[in-house]
Amino acid sequence: MVDPRTATLWGYRSLFLGLVAVILFLRLLPLSALPDAWPLPEGMLAHFPDWLYPQDWPGADMLLCLTIVWVQRRPDFSPALMVAGVFLLEDLLTFRPPGLWAAIVLIGTEFLRQRENSTRDLPFWGEWAMVAAVIAAMTLANRLILALFMVPQVALGQAVLYMVTTIVIYPGLAMVMQYVLGLHRAAPGEVDTWGRRL
Amino acid sequence: MARDHNSDMDYRGPVRRVLVTVLALLLTLLFLVWRIDSPRVERLRNAFVDRVVPPMDWAMAPVTKVAGMIGSFQSYARIYEQNQELRRELQQMKAWKEAAVQLEQQNAKLLAQNQVRLDPKRTSVSGVVMADSGSPFRQSVLLNVGARDGIVDGWATMDGLGLVGRISGVGQNTARVLLLTDASSRIPVTIQPSGQKAMLMGDNSAAPPLDFIETPEQIRPDDRVISSGDGGVFPAGILVGTVVKTKDNRFRVRLAADYDRLDFVRVLRSHPSEQINEAGALIPPPVAPQPGFTFRLPGPAGAEGGDG
Repeated sequence: MVDPRTATLWGYRSLFLGLVAVILFLRLLPLSALPDAWPLPEGMLAHFPDWLYPQDWPGADMLLCLTIVWVQRRPDFSPALMVAGVFLLEDLLTFRPPGLWAAIVLIGTEFLRQRENSTRDLPFWGEWAMVAAVIAAMTLANRLILALFMVPQVALGQAVLYMVTTIVIYPGLAMVMQYVLGLHRAAPGEVDTWGRRL
Repeated sequence: MARDHNSDMDYRGPVRRVLVTVLALLLTLLFLVWRIDSPRVERLRNAFVDRVVPPMDWAMAPVTKVAGMIGSFQSYARIYEQNQELRRELQQMKAWKEAAVQLEQQNAKLLAQNQVRLDPKRTSVSGVVMADSGSPFRQSVLLNVGARDGIVDGWATMDGLGLVGRISGVGQNTARVLLLTDASSRIPVTIQPSGQKAMLMGDNSAAPPLDFIETPEQIRPDDRVISSGDGGVFPAGILVGTVVKTKDNRFRVRLAADYDRLDFVRVLRSHPSEQINEAGALIPPPVAPQPGFTFRLPGPAGAEGGDG
């Protein structure tokens, strides 16, 4: 018989991996080979500058957003090894330079993880601002290192758009996780299933 | 702030920190190895994708099918207009079919008279699109044919009508097609009535721009763009698309291939064209070296002294 507390822990961990698998699966579906279209009416698109050519909407990095939401809420449900593995898998599947983004995400989430219990009493916008800063720093670091190693990269406008969208969907995703999965930030003094303070 | 964990758990912090650092260093090392020896790591990656993605096939098929059904269901709303439209098109097509049949017969007759051997280069392997690139910044698809079927890096792929992209990365059972829309795709093209040469530069948008055009004045919207075969990578004469002009007077190409529903694609076998390296022994008859003749190079003065 498995200890129910261990079962909870691993249940949530496998839930995290399941969500990651769903996101990767949806992104690999060969529905259309066109770049994603803007979710806006044609009339507005006509006024867009040429560097944002219509049908050129990078979307949001759901995987990163999900990982940060979990790290901010329950760090023990998304351990560092799991985060590194997930992002290395994504690196390999989506033909990015392997290892770099995984390493950056690992460092970024470790930074958040270490400050998780000292920032618990921040209001939500405080958490959001911190997350936004970390995501921006990660994107910048990625671009700088790629530029340093002379790896071809995407246009700056698209990368910034991608980053901003990721930051914007963060509250929505956090709310969904909170009300659907009961994944809330630990209150000060809350204990985990072992009776240790979180 | 005091330690949060119990005292017997105190060792966990430092050990964990060391492990995370080692993990980050390993990942960075992987990146560096990739940067130094890219082909080897890419081969590893292809082998990995080859192993991981095909088992997802059975799960992808129903989802893709349902999405397709939803798409067609939406079009039921205007089924009447569609029907009329199709009838009209069918009528036009019948005329074209008649013309095509006549031309085919004529062509067969002429070929028979000529004893022409058609170019054996233009054979192809057909494959099914298995998976998307999964990244908003990489435009590529994964095919279910690979090294097993004789696919080689760099071959051109097309759907029924137009060029789709080229093979970049071959696994045992899968191959990746870099689409023309990808930011790293560069294809030499010819713009048809005027015969202008240009480069088609992918930029992650649905209609890639044309660059390096010699005289843009000669180009008009709706000109045909075909591959030019310069550089020897691509076969020449495959339809790419038609020219559109954007607001800021740049030219983009509306691609002929139906990127919205890439399903079956053909990989064109191309064999490296034979290179002619020597001057050719046929043209001048082989001359015996004449004694006393030295080829004078603009060089040190000592050579001149030796001659005289």
